[in-house]
Amino acid sequence: MKKLTLEQKWDIIDKIVRKTVSYGIYQHTIKDAIGELAVKPLTGIPIAIAVLYGFWSLFTSISSFITDGFMVKIFDGYWLPWLQKNFPGKPGDWLYSLMVDVGHKENGILVNSDNCLEAFGVLTSGLFVSIGIVLPAIFVFYLIITILEDSGYLPRLAVLLDNIMHKIGLHGYAIIPTILGFGCNVPAVHATRILETKKQRILMMTLVSIFIPCGSQLSVMQNVIPEYTGVIVLYLLFGYFTFGYILNKIIPGKSPEMLIDIPELMVPSLRNVSKKLWIRMSSFLISGIPLVMLGSLLVGVLYLSGVIDFLGKLLEPIFTIWFGVPKETSAPLIAAFLRKDLAVAQLKGLADAGIIKNIYQMVSSVVLVSLYFPCLATFIMILKESGRDFIKIILALFVAVFIYGGLLHLIWILMGVG
Amino acid sequence: MRYKAYFFCLGIISMFLGLLSILAVVLGKDSNITIVEFTSDAFRGGWGGIILLSAGLFYVHGIKRLDDIHYRAEVFVGSGMIWIVGGCEILRMILMSIPGEEGWLNTPEGFVSSYLPPYHPSILLLPFSLVVWMMERYYEKRGCRDSQGHK
Repeated sequence: MKKLTLEQKWDIIDKIVRKTVSYGIYQHTIKDAIGELAVKPLTGIPIAIAVLYGFWSLFTSISSFITDGFMVKIFDGYWLPWLQKNFPGKPGDWLYSLMVDVGHKENGILVNSDNCLEAFGVLTSGLFVSIGIVLPAIFVFYLIITILEDSGYLPRLAVLLDNIMHKIGLHGYAIIPTILGFGCNVPAVHATRILETKKQRILMMTLVSIFIPCGSQLSVMQNVIPEYTGVIVLYLLFGYFTFGYILNKIIPGKSPEMLIDIPELMVPSLRNVSKKLWIRMSSFLISGIPLVMLGSLLVGVLYLSGVIDFLGKLLEPIFTIWFGVPKETSAPLIAAFLRKDLAVAQLKGLADAGIIKNIYQMVSSVVLVSLYFPCLATFIMILKESGRDFIKIILALFVAVFIYGGLLHLIWILMGVG
Repeated sequence: MRYKAYFFCLGIISMFLGLLSILAVVLGKDSNITIVEFTSDAFRGGWGGIILLSAGLFYVHGIKRLDDIHYRAEVFVGSGMIWIVGGCEILRMILMSIPGEEGWLNTPEGFVSSYLPPYHPSILLLPFSLVVWMMERYYEKRGCRDSQGHK
């Protein structure tokens, strides 16, 4: 093959350009002008506020439509009674308690639970949480994220937030794992791969797993303490930025600038959205759901073997003295390592029984559930994604929890309610 | 000129309704004025109110130079914000009307009663905000230039 000279190469390039490129004055469209408004802080922030409102509103409306409207009826009305009738054994038997229902005491007698959330079995609570609560929430979440991504808005949001995120050693694209974390921390940890350096990934994994409450946790919080959910989320977001700032100073490494091509604003194509949605959902079905089920199995084993009670008693002084919550909350807080949503529901039970005496203790307990450790599924994902940096992340987690949980207790003391 | 006056009025109303929504949250009191509902819910009332207020500001600022595409985009964004809040409210109403309290589906009476007033302010503003499409078609036909002189 004949080798071309530089001049010949340029001739070919010129010919191609003449055939393919047309010149003229670019006509600005209304879409371009709206796209520009979305990246300017003065106009972009109100737009972001509206888009996030739509995001959250769609997320809660559709997921509660599926879960409360249909899943609860299927699981509590048909699946649980069927299992209670047909599974060999009764509450108190090891296998039955582990797989179906631990039961609860009524007048000193152990009886079956009447809903899947309180049954604590792998086939009841485990299946209900993973398929009845988390799956619809994740489906809606990924659908909205994909639409925002394909419409060209998400890159604009990344540009808009780039300055703020740089203050904590990240860049605008860090908003993607952060938003994903509000759905489920597992894909959020996976999404930290879009960040370039090791430092950024460690930072992001730590912040997401501590300060971003997942969708199922938020929906239980919304159900148990609706009037304080907003305040708790704001407190956690404050922690996200404060600890991000501190960790950025401590963790060595680089935080490079972001250089991205902003696509045109456009109507997403159904084909692309469904393809992306399928890829994301199948990855969650393969990695997320088995982990939630495994979490149910482990919480059952630890609960039935008395390990959770033992750990609760062991860590009781830390919970009562440092964090200022009643000693009885230690068991749900330990169990939160495996199932945060159920831990919040258990705390509601303690409040109803008068053990958690006031709203301040309730808020502290719920904040601690969010903060103090990632759930098992996220824990395994961090282990997989971080490799040798796993220890650093866990260390950062412990330090953040101690400082931030203690700080909340201090606020209550200063207010005279602690 | 007629679009200027129209969106100025719509902007003022939107700001007013947004402020009332925020006020209901601050005072922690639900209230209805005729068929409009001002909820004390921090999300729908507070956050939604801030969006309506911002939409009004976009309208009032955007009408300054409607022959410039950048200003018209602001009016468009104002309408878009109302569509987001109003659209979510309508979807919420539809989704809440379908499942029943005990059975799978709602009773016919329950279904119909889900659509009765009072409504969130954004639902009332929504049909009026759609005029933005007519405005855009009108200015496109006139072939207005943008602030950089581009057609």
